[in-house]
Amino acid sequence: MSSDDDPWGLDDLIDTIASAEQTDDGGETPVEDTAPSSEGPAEVAADSHPAAPAAPVAAPPTPEQNVDAEFLGESGLAVTGQARMEAAYGSGDGDEVMHAQVAQPAQVDSGTIFHQIYRPWNGVLNPRWVRNWSIYRHHVYGLFSKGHRPWPVLTKIIIIVVFLGALSPLLMLVLSSLTGADELQRFFGVTRANLWGHVFGFFFNNVCCWPIVTALVIGGLISEDRQNGTSAIYFSRPITRTDYTLMKYLSAASILSIIIVLTYCIFYAVAILVNNEGWSYLLDTFPYFFAGLIAALLLVATYTSIGLALSSVSRGKFFPAVSLIGLLLGSKMLAFLIDLLFETDVMYLISPYDNLAHVGQWMMRLNTTYDFPVAWSFVSVLVMNAGSLYILISRVNSLEVTRE
Amino acid sequence: MTEQWVITTEDLVKKYGEHVALDSISLKIQYGATGLLGPNGAGKSTLIKTILGLIQLTSGSGTVLGHNIATEGNQIRQRIGYMPEYDCLTPSMEAVHQVRYAGELLGMNPTQAMQRSHEVLEYVGLRDQRYRTIETFSTGMQQATKLACSLINDPDLVICDEPTNGLDTKARGFMLDTLFQVVKQGGRSILMSSHLMDDVEHICDRIVMIHKGQVIAQGRIEDLKAIDREIEISVWGGASRLEDALSHGGLDVRRTGRVMRIVRQDEDTYRDILAAAAATNVQVRRMEDYEPSLEDLFIVIMERLGYSVKSSADLFDSGNTPSMDKAADLSRLGDGTI
Repeated sequence: MSSDDDPWGLDDLIDTIASAEQTDDGGETPVEDTAPSSEGPAEVAADSHPAAPAAPVAAPPTPEQNVDAEFLGESGLAVTGQARMEAAYGSGDGDEVMHAQVAQPAQVDSGTIFHQIYRPWNGVLNPRWVRNWSIYRHHVYGLFSKGHRPWPVLTKIIIIVVFLGALSPLLMLVLSSLTGADELQRFFGVTRANLWGHVFGFFFNNVCCWPIVTALVIGGLISEDRQNGTSAIYFSRPITRTDYTLMKYLSAASILSIIIVLTYCIFYAVAILVNNEGWSYLLDTFPYFFAGLIAALLLVATYTSIGLALSSVSRGKFFPAVSLIGLLLGSKMLAFLIDLLFETDVMYLISPYDNLAHVGQWMMRLNTTYDFPVAWSFVSVLVMNAGSLYILISRVNSLEVTRE
Repeated sequence: MTEQWVITTEDLVKKYGEHVALDSISLKIQYGATGLLGPNGAGKSTLIKTILGLIQLTSGSGTVLGHNIATEGNQIRQRIGYMPEYDCLTPSMEAVHQVRYAGELLGMNPTQAMQRSHEVLEYVGLRDQRYRTIETFSTGMQQATKLACSLINDPDLVICDEPTNGLDTKARGFMLDTLFQVVKQGGRSILMSSHLMDDVEHICDRIVMIHKGQVIAQGRIEDLKAIDREIEISVWGGASRLEDALSHGGLDVRRTGRVMRIVRQDEDTYRDILAAAAATNVQVRRMEDYEPSLEDLFIVIMERLGYSVKSSADLFDSGNTPSMDKAADLSRLGDGTI
């Protein structure tokens, strides 16, 4: 037969199959397993459907082919339906050797997709300070590099903006140095008031910058461990609650210190450099700078304590962030209104900012703007820190390992 | 490993005020895989926290991997991998960094922790997904990440709390196979808390059953199954007659249609069954020893506590637990060594 009459070569294939079947003993024709299998012929299953060889299935049926022939994988034979019944119902006496033509999985002779091999580890575990360092590193490095605590992008942007904003007086300092204008020097040079103002100036730093950065930093620091259950990761390891609390505290305080204390130090250092000041200037101004540094650290510590206490009592970062800003600014506003109405400023004792500012004024030997003694403010700051730390510690103790 | 036992406890008691969470628990757990079973509120979590050295005991003593649970919590936790039941991962972290951080918290060098993180994530089947953030993971992948966190330091003991929780059939199978490999291939020990009897039976060859702070059964599963030996028969014609006859003969019979299970009392039980069948003119078409599952064992033990349950699922509803008076009267099953 020419290839024009049989474009798919079906007749040749049918002849080949028919000649192969002549070797069978006829009668009840078993369905042979023609697919390659390494596991031998499969048992006949009730729902197994023997398939025809690939090429005839793809081709349209010829007039001579019975529809059942496709099922049987054969052609040209009388179809009794007996084999199908055997496959479906097992109607024989059970002694037949039946084989089903079933799809076989592809045999992969080479290459490995996945080998599950347990590999032991024989390294040495480092001591406690290394574990604590890893917590600190996780939180602080997260601001700068990938793979550590995933700080939100907005938080990173705001921290950078506030950091650059805190360094903005440097521009005026350089300008005043270049021009030699005394007015600019008085406004932007190193004076006790300017050093105090860098840390405690209400407008703009303590209205927007420090509280917002603190809120963003401490917001999820502990509350997200409670929310996500990550406290289990810490406490099922040789991390004590003291270590956990201390490292969280130091992490938050370090980030705030970069914004508040580091910029304060840079401001002082640049002022000396650009004005080409000598040792005598340094000796004169350093005590005030140092007092301001201590006051700045006290501010960082107090804001961190209050912030982490709020973070530890909640799940999620929204509540601690908002409540911290509300506490810092709300208490100031309340004291201010009472001062206006009743002409008494003693209510400033409830404002963390005012207490810190008052202590800062005293430490830098500035004239205080409050009528009550500085000791009251100092005690108030201590009480606020102690109360916050008590809440923080008690709430961290309630963090669960097995269930929250 | 020079210690003979992975966990030993002696009259462990933990009270929260008036509530007794652990009531004189004495255990000796060998190396290998052990299942921790019990209803909600039974004291499993408290026992796990005790093993981790996290809580102060009211009385009693114990050791884990040779370390005192009262004074050497840090040393214990350095050698244990704990896989919590609940979420414990930071959603926005990449899996490889989460696992690395888990290793660093154990005191691993960051470089080694990173290298090991790759290894264990490959081991749990997340090699190609290790740089994806965890929030994009399915439940099965998150469970695998938790397992990777617990395996990062190659711990001597892995404590798994409901490791197949929320997994589909395929992921569950993979998780169980992986845990099985940790025991068989890695030679590590596993303490697995689960309420799925099949899961425990798949991995563990020993169990501890806890109820209301007390150990009600402990030992090898095969040994414990011996307390529930039954003979299963299929009968034809007059099943009710045969059931009555067997019951009157003093045998304990459970029947579902033509299939009955008779508690095997001794070797004569077979003869008694056939005699009863002959007397009632009932055909016994099949008779064989019934191999109880862990589920059956659990039900039997709880029935001995005086509580009628249909399945273990009933027991994990905390409102359906039997009274402790009966539990206290129950003679302890097992020999205290598992």
